[in-house]
Amino acid sequence: MPPKIATDLVLSAQDIHKSFGAQEVLKGITLGARNHDVISILGTSGSGKSTFLRCLNCLEVPNSGSVAVHGEEIVFRNGRIGDQRQIERLRRHLGMVFQQFNLWTHRTVLENVMEGPVQVKRMPKAEARDLAEGLLARVGLADRMGHYPAMLSGGQQQRVAIARALAMEPDVILFDEPTSALDPELVGEVLKVMQDLAAEGRTMIVVTHEMAFARDVSTEVVFLNEGRIAEQGPPEKLFDHPETEVFARFISKTRRDFA
Amino acid sequence: MMETLFSYGPQGWGDELLAGVWVTLRLAAATLPVGLLLGFVVAAASLSRRPVLRAMGWGYTTVMRGMPEILTLFIVYNGLGLGLNRLLDHFAPQIGAVDFPPFAAGVIALALVFAAFAAEVLRGAFQAVPEGQVLAGLAIGMTGRQVFWRIKLPQLWRFALPGMGNLWLNLLKDTALVSVIALDDLMRATKVAVGVTKQPFTFYLAACLIYWGLCLGSELVLTRLEARANRGVRRA
Amino acid sequence: MSLIESLSTNLPKLLDGAETTLILTGLGAALAAVFSPGLALIRLFGPTPAKMLLRAYISFVRGTPLLAQLFLVFYGSGQFRAELTGLGLWSFFRDPFNCAVLVFVINSCAYQTEILRGGIEAVPPGEIEAARAIGMTRARVLARVIFPHAYRIAWPALGNEVILLMKASALASIVTVFDLMGRTRQIFSRSFEFSVYFEAAALYLLITVVFVFLWRQIERRLTRHMRRTQGS
Ligand SMILES: Nc1ncnc2c1ncn2[C@@H]1O[C@H](COP(=O)(O)OP(=O)(O)OP(=O)(O)O)[C@@H](O)[C@H]1O
Ligand SMILES: [Mg+2]
Repeated sequence: MPPKIATDLVLSAQDIHKSFGAQEVLKGITLGARNHDVISILGTSGSGKSTFLRCLNCLEVPNSGSVAVHGEEIVFRNGRIGDQRQIERLRRHLGMVFQQFNLWTHRTVLENVMEGPVQVKRMPKAEARDLAEGLLARVGLADRMGHYPAMLSGGQQQRVAIARALAMEPDVILFDEPTSALDPELVGEVLKVMQDLAAEGRTMIVVTHEMAFARDVSTEVVFLNEGRIAEQGPPEKLFDHPETEVFARFISKTRRDFA
Repeated sequence: MMETLFSYGPQGWGDELLAGVWVTLRLAAATLPVGLLLGFVVAAASLSRRPVLRAMGWGYTTVMRGMPEILTLFIVYNGLGLGLNRLLDHFAPQIGAVDFPPFAAGVIALALVFAAFAAEVLRGAFQAVPEGQVLAGLAIGMTGRQVFWRIKLPQLWRFALPGMGNLWLNLLKDTALVSVIALDDLMRATKVAVGVTKQPFTFYLAACLIYWGLCLGSELVLTRLEARANRGVRRA
Repeated sequence: MSLIESLSTNLPKLLDGAETTLILTGLGAALAAVFSPGLALIRLFGPTPAKMLLRAYISFVRGTPLLAQLFLVFYGSGQFRAELTGLGLWSFFRDPFNCAVLVFVINSCAYQTEILRGGIEAVPPGEIEAARAIGMTRARVLARVIFPHAYRIAWPALGNEVILLMKASALASIVTVFDLMGRTRQIFSRSFEFSVYFEAAALYLLITVVFVFLWRQIERRLTRHMRRTQGS
């Protein structure tokens, strides 16, 4: 029997296991997000951060464990998808922003943002257009709505991707290294938008290598190591008093990188 | 029943079909070198520095590739026939009307078509040789001619082989057209068998299966050749 | 006879034939296009037996001359005349035009399926993932992301396929369809007027040129998103 899920959690994952072939990438991860939480997930390359994030919205199907949004729970057994509809419903509550933006290149910026509301939520086009225009203005792209993604810089594309996620009015937004594919001078504009979202009280789970963001913006930091949560807690506590050797080494190394 | 239909000897049609296959293969085999040679000439024209030659190369490939093969065949067969008879009328009127030999007409028509497609494949293959290798050759002091013979030509094979393989398969299939100008290839042998046995489906299916077998066999050989041509080339 | 004279007597017949050629090609390509997307999906994601069956079908079509396929259907159906009559299908198979269209559909469908399969495989996986991530159903993902991309990628190759089919449609004349090639042969056999072949060649080229132009226009529209500069 799966453990009872606390009701104040918007999103919770229980004991997620995930293997690729013989390699066990996630070895039982449990994590919950309450409203307004901003959780940063840190970890070395290959520690399973992306895999875990993708398990949350079932882009990867866990071998076992469960994911619940708003108390509606999906339990995984033997890595099989039970009910495709349930998964699609779950995804409507979770926005996702990818490292490589993944904008639909054959649609304009405006169409990219309208696509979800119109095609998934069946919102009338006019209404979706108003919504999309508002969101694009908020991420500073009011003047780029008719452009195709190929005409935008990486930072602009990522801001469109964020607007696209927001258009679904998700309960939680998942970010997978949203600034890692960007040129250094473009990182700031995307982080600024994310910071604003956090300040607004959006619930966010962010896989990142941006230590400053993890430290200053997030309410909770999770450190993954070899498929397990090695350390977890409020950022100021974790960064100033790391409990484990690995995390201490991890932050000292990144500090050196940033120094 | 089946056994007698496809058996050898006067009872069955096995030997007739086999003779047809032999004509088909000879036709394709005779066309290949002619078409390839002509293809090289056309490709050379298309890559030439002279605008006139380039235009001629382009015109040839465009017209030949835009025309139905069967139309080319009729033009060649009837055109050569008319020409031949006109010559005979002039120089040796006692012979009377003759037909142009269909095998030769078939080879010429198929080679003309093959050359147009082959020229495009060859042109692409030439241009596929990485620019850096050419520059490297020039950098060590090779002449343009040396670069062509020592660097580009040896690699042409590798880049042209997949395209050429496809053209060979098309050629094999196009030989079937020649049956309409009275050449006793597989298709025509089948037609004769159908006329006598009144079993069109059985025999045309057999013909299809034979062509299919020829193509599958060719593909097998072609993959071998490609593997050999790509020795020493690691794919990313 | 002068060229002008020859043209003015032949042209009406040739144009009539060209119309049949266009109908044959258009019908063949369009009907094949109805089936190819579904078949491409089966070819990629279907159950193994269905995949193998499709591979065999495609290999057979690619490995046999179209003329042989045409004879197999048109003359071959005669062997089952009684059965086909019983099914009420004999009147269909007796007509060479119908047989030609049927064979062109079967033939072109195999090629189009392969082309589309390539297009689907080339769709950027991240864009598919983004669509799934916002909760699109599989059917929506196909309709909104996969096929729009796949057709854009496959567009030039599909155009080539239509041209090849148009040229191949000349074979219908051998089973007595009066398409452009059929009319040409008819005129030649009556008048031995060699220039009719060149008139036919010119018409075939004209059809190809016009088709290529139109296809490119559509392609330009479809690939607007790939140009880096903003067009108005
Ligand atoms: N689809 C897959 N098939 C097989 N192995 C995979 C797959 N996806 C991830 N892996 C493996 O799982 C492990 C964890 O990958 P993951 O992408 O989750 O790491 P990460 O923490 O996000 O690393 P990075 O910081 O480099 O993005 C890696 O060893 C990776 O090779
Ligand atoms: Mg990752």
